[in-house]
Amino acid sequence: MPAVTADDLSALMSRVAAGDREALRQLYQATSSKLFGVCLRILSDKDESEDVLQEVYVTIWRRADRFDAGRASVMTWISTIARNRAIDRLRARGPLAHAEQIDEMEIADGAPSATALLESADQVGALQRCLAELDDRTEQAIRTAFFEGVTYEALAQRLDTPLGTVKSWIRRGLMKLKGCLEP
Amino acid sequence: MSDTGPEMNEPEALAAEHALGVLTAPERAAAERRMASEPAFARAVDAWRRRLAPLGMETTAVAPSDEVWPRIERALPVNDNNPQLARRLAFWRSATVGAMGLAAASLMVAVYLGNRPPVVIPAEAPAAMPMLNASLNTEGGQPLFVASYDPVRQALIITSLVPPGTDPLHVHQVWLIPPEDGVPRSLGMVEPGTAKTVPLDASISDLAHEGTEIAVSVEPPGGSPQAGPSGPVAAIGALGEI
Repeated sequence: MPAVTADDLSALMSRVAAGDREALRQLYQATSSKLFGVCLRILSDKDESEDVLQEVYVTIWRRADRFDAGRASVMTWISTIARNRAIDRLRARGPLAHAEQIDEMEIADGAPSATALLESADQVGALQRCLAELDDRTEQAIRTAFFEGVTYEALAQRLDTPLGTVKSWIRRGLMKLKGCLEP
Repeated sequence: MSDTGPEMNEPEALAAEHALGVLTAPERAAAERRMASEPAFARAVDAWRRRLAPLGMETTAVAPSDEVWPRIERALPVNDNNPQLARRLAFWRSATVGAMGLAAASLMVAVYLGNRPPVVIPAEAPAAMPMLNASLNTEGGQPLFVASYDPVRQALIITSLVPPGTDPLHVHQVWLIPPEDGVPRSLGMVEPGTAKTVPLDASISDLAHEGTEIAVSVEPPGGSPQAGPSGPVAAIGALGEI
């Protein structure tokens, strides 16, 4: 598959907003593996993740007119929709969903890479550097929260650490992260 | 929390936590409502989403099965945000029957009269039909259910934020209460922690509009023994465009 750039995605998104189904199909082809990966990581269930993926693209179709390129890139916007839908689904399982560490998911090889769609390499590098400046357990807690969409409560249980402590690690970690990214 | 070092101010911390995804279901619902009503808070959440977005790029891409796209295509409504919709409808009306998409097919009826060419009778173009949403809250303002009415599919999607397994001795019955007569119509039960799509009969879907209330009552197994709710109303909210 040819590399798709952020500009290509913006162009597709304006066609989607104008009701162009073919544009949605192309957007799906370019981005569905990435968004499915996001859902699968959070839900660790293929069927549920495919249900959520379906909801995500129907939502993109319905709300494409609200996409504002000044507020977020296409990839950030649609990834946020995918994360939110997956987390909502996870929350419906109860507050302690995934308090236990899940086994590493089986990842299919040969899925198209979405690397070309990314935020600029600079942004990725900056966030990596800033995360690395945090202490290890805080970095780990923030990563786990982000990738698996778990609540403070589930995190606390998993790390066998009081809720207040975990909350405090994450809040302080996020504040340091902000200071590091925007000095 | 003097021993934990400096803290972010509360709205900023909440925005970051919402973007990171550590909030519980009711907290998430509250944060979404706050984003809708407080632009400064919405901007703070957006900024945090942008900051954390590069992390998402570390997620491994996994191809979904081939069945997903056809399912999406079938589920697509005519999107109502289209400035050119009117023009496209005009095009469809003038077009002869060809390879029409689902949306076009729903807008017209082809009638064959003997061996004459098909005559296309255009149905009236649908008005813009946005989803209507309601957050069903307790008296104390805590959201327990979220409802969305999809006028295109004429279905109500109800999502229970109640943890699964809560109170196995009772069921949660969903009611639609139109302002016209204030009489509750039962839409069936919803299990704690699940989402359910309830297709509405035409007589009921006509009553699902802005201002119609959706409520959930706590009932004995099998549902209310009477026409309306018999148990306490756990949560209620009115449909509206959000």
